[in-house]
Amino acid sequence: MEIIYQIFSPDFLLRNSIYTSVLVGLVCPLVGVFLVMRRLVFMGVALPQISSTGVAIALSLPLWIGFNLSEHSSHSAHMLAFMGSIIFSLTAIMVLAFLERRGHGQPEGRLGTAYVVAAALSILLLSKNPYGEIGWLDMMKGEVITISNFDLGLTAATLTLVIAVMGLFHRELLLVSFDREMAMILRKKVIFWDVLLYLLIGITVSMAVLSVGPLIAFGFLLIPALSAHMVAHNMRQFMVLASLIGGVAAFLGFCIAYRFDLPVGPTDVVLLGFLYAGTWIIAKIVPHEGLRHTT
Amino acid sequence: MGGCVRPRFLGGYTQQTMNEPLITLDNLSIGYNNQAVLSGISLSIARASFTAILGANGSGKSTLIKTVLGLIPPVAGCINTASTNAPLEFGYVPQAFHFDPIYLLTGFDVALMGVYGRVRPGRIVPKIERAFTRECLRAADAEAFSRQRFAELSGGQKQRVLIARALAMRPDVLVLDEPTEGVDREAKDLVLEFISCIHRERKITVLLVTHDFAAVRHYAEQVIWLHGGKMSLGSTHELLTAERMAEMIEMGMA
Repeated sequence: MEIIYQIFSPDFLLRNSIYTSVLVGLVCPLVGVFLVMRRLVFMGVALPQISSTGVAIALSLPLWIGFNLSEHSSHSAHMLAFMGSIIFSLTAIMVLAFLERRGHGQPEGRLGTAYVVAAALSILLLSKNPYGEIGWLDMMKGEVITISNFDLGLTAATLTLVIAVMGLFHRELLLVSFDREMAMILRKKVIFWDVLLYLLIGITVSMAVLSVGPLIAFGFLLIPALSAHMVAHNMRQFMVLASLIGGVAAFLGFCIAYRFDLPVGPTDVVLLGFLYAGTWIIAKIVPHEGLRHTT
Repeated sequence: MGGCVRPRFLGGYTQQTMNEPLITLDNLSIGYNNQAVLSGISLSIARASFTAILGANGSGKSTLIKTVLGLIPPVAGCINTASTNAPLEFGYVPQAFHFDPIYLLTGFDVALMGVYGRVRPGRIVPKIERAFTRECLRAADAEAFSRQRFAELSGGQKQRVLIARALAMRPDVLVLDEPTEGVDREAKDLVLEFISCIHRERKITVLLVTHDFAAVRHYAEQVIWLHGGKMSLGSTHELLTAERMAEMIEMGMA
């Protein structure tokens, strides 16, 4: 309890970190639900990594052209990283989704290759970059400690926009995912809704990677959605439960990490793993329909 | 099935002139990626008619209806519709196994999609449209299981929900792609009887893709037979001769 009092205290030094973690924990599962339903789980693994490569390239760019980034504010570095992250995320999701829809080749192989190459490239680039030493490598490992008010504001604004758009057009996004042919017969602009969904996924992944790193982003994108799917009865329960699991895990993970002096990212992901196992056991023990009707 | 209960929103078809061509295919070639599966298709489908599309697997039945529905562009030729003011509304009933069971949608959620064409993006589905969906579910005798998960329904129950969804679209034409595939004999008869009932009572145009030879003989007024890259059109009596039936049985279609 003492830790919770400390965390909620107005002068708690890491309050921006916990707010950011919880925000990411609440919003990532909402787009993760669509990745799970569209059977794009592997994309949920590869995207955060590709996004972090975008961050690494964006931060290396000034170095390559002889521009000294350290003379400028950390906001400039953050915006540069955000641009790199979002460009890579959106390009990757559009290209990979297009190839997936065409149905050629091996999607798992493609995503696996993209993941491993992106991971290796990020480490190579950041190891040769002086900014890597002042926090970016920590971010890549999931150390959510250096979050400025600007970072928190940008994350909150972006993720609120994602929730608003997703809530407003949930029906259309669900229809084109569930029954594309029906959407076409109803004269819905399926390409537009597909692109909008990918845009929301790309923005959320970029924001999450930039705020908490690829490890937590991946964990929060998929594990809460996969856990919620085991016990939810309908789509509303699925979305709400996934978001709640993510938010609660982010908060508890932060408390545990703070109490035992652990890195936040890995703590959150391990906790999500336990929650997944716990949900699986509950779904097996509690009568199937009974649980579904009461959630 | 719950008989031919006519939802009041679904009236109006009796006012139309029967035998008037509703859909005309003019020298149509169909296929994928500019590769024609069938060419030179010219035929008319009359308003309020019941047309069955028969053919072996891979003969182009599904490609034909998907082209008519506008899901696949024609390789050549054109499709004309006799719609006056608004474009023709199609109510499509795909095969029940076409859907991924990962979606946590109830039967009602699936049927409600039929009204989405009339609701603008970002707007809440009006109560009247929800009531209409329930009415369509009742008409299709699917109301009892409409709160259950769609993926957990039996083949026959899924078909009824999908028919309710198609009715919720207020269609001019009901297009059904092998609605009795994977459905047991009893449910199959109920589904077909219900489709026939809607057709008779509401004078709705029906396009039925099927392998079920008996269904064609009982319910269809005309048959489009696709075989060996060719198409024949005629009434059930003209087309389903003893020789042709023997040929179909040999192909394993009956």
